[in-house]
Amino acid sequence: MVLLTRKIEFSASHRYNNPALSAEENQRIFGKCNNPHGHGHNYTLEVTVAGEPDPVTGMVVDLADLKKILEQEVMRRMDHRHLNFEVPELAGQIPTCENVARVIWNLLEPKIPQGRLHRVRLYESPDLFADCYRNGAGRNGSAS
Amino acid sequence: MTAARGGDLKIELGRRYRFAASHRLHSAQMSEAENARIYGKCNNPCGHGHNYTVEITISGDVDPATGMIANLADLDNFVQREVIDPFDYRSLNDEVEVFRAEVPTTENLCIEIYRRVRAFPHAKLERVRVEETSNNSFEYAGEEVFSGSDEAL
Repeated sequence: MVLLTRKIEFSASHRYNNPALSAEENQRIFGKCNNPHGHGHNYTLEVTVAGEPDPVTGMVVDLADLKKILEQEVMRRMDHRHLNFEVPELAGQIPTCENVARVIWNLLEPKIPQGRLHRVRLYESPDLFADCYRNGAGRNGSAS
Repeated sequence: MTAARGGDLKIELGRRYRFAASHRLHSAQMSEAENARIYGKCNNPCGHGHNYTVEITISGDVDPATGMIANLADLDNFVQREVIDPFDYRSLNDEVEVFRAEVPTTENLCIEIYRRVRAFPHAKLERVRVEETSNNSFEYAGEEVFSGSDEAL
């Protein structure tokens, strides 16, 4: 099995606020991420596909296809958007790194044309990231 | 592979921290000559230092109310108290109890940080990765990782 990773970057704004909680509780739990005006990040997304290289093309997945899928599913939805208001898949969820990574996983998994989606790693900043993978497949793809 | 495909989605959160510390690699169980031969310039009697980067990865259920595995401020405060404060701008050999007996290689540092952060009460610690320099990194995930039970390859 070979792992292939494609990286893209997008920028988006968000705010952490749970309407079921009081303003004080939101402030206590989310701190500066609760700023009513929102804030933003430059996100880096690493998408890893696992598979055997095709005997004819030598590819696990055609990178041009993968680029198109990432453009369609992630960039068009999230780049230069407000994650709270403009991404229906995140409706009703706090747009944390964990939740955004899971939404991206769910968008991408059925679209991967060759091989299988192995890991989604979403960096909110160089020092904070969330990994999403199927249970049991994680550690093999954690080489970074 | 088929089993892995059908597995539940698992989410992990990774967080990176930095500290600077000095150390000297020297084992009391070896002669001066052996120490010099094995550790080379890391055996310099006066010690030397590194800017370390520590990557902590935790896992757990994402709380629907907060969208988080664990509150980041709780993790940051815990790691600050248990790892950064005791190690940053310190001599690992002289100021961290465990390294009075053990050689403060980054392998052993990884294990010591794992041991400390495993006590974080709000999530499961998956692994600790320490970069000693931008060219050398070390990873420890506890001993159960070697059981092979959840390896999918």
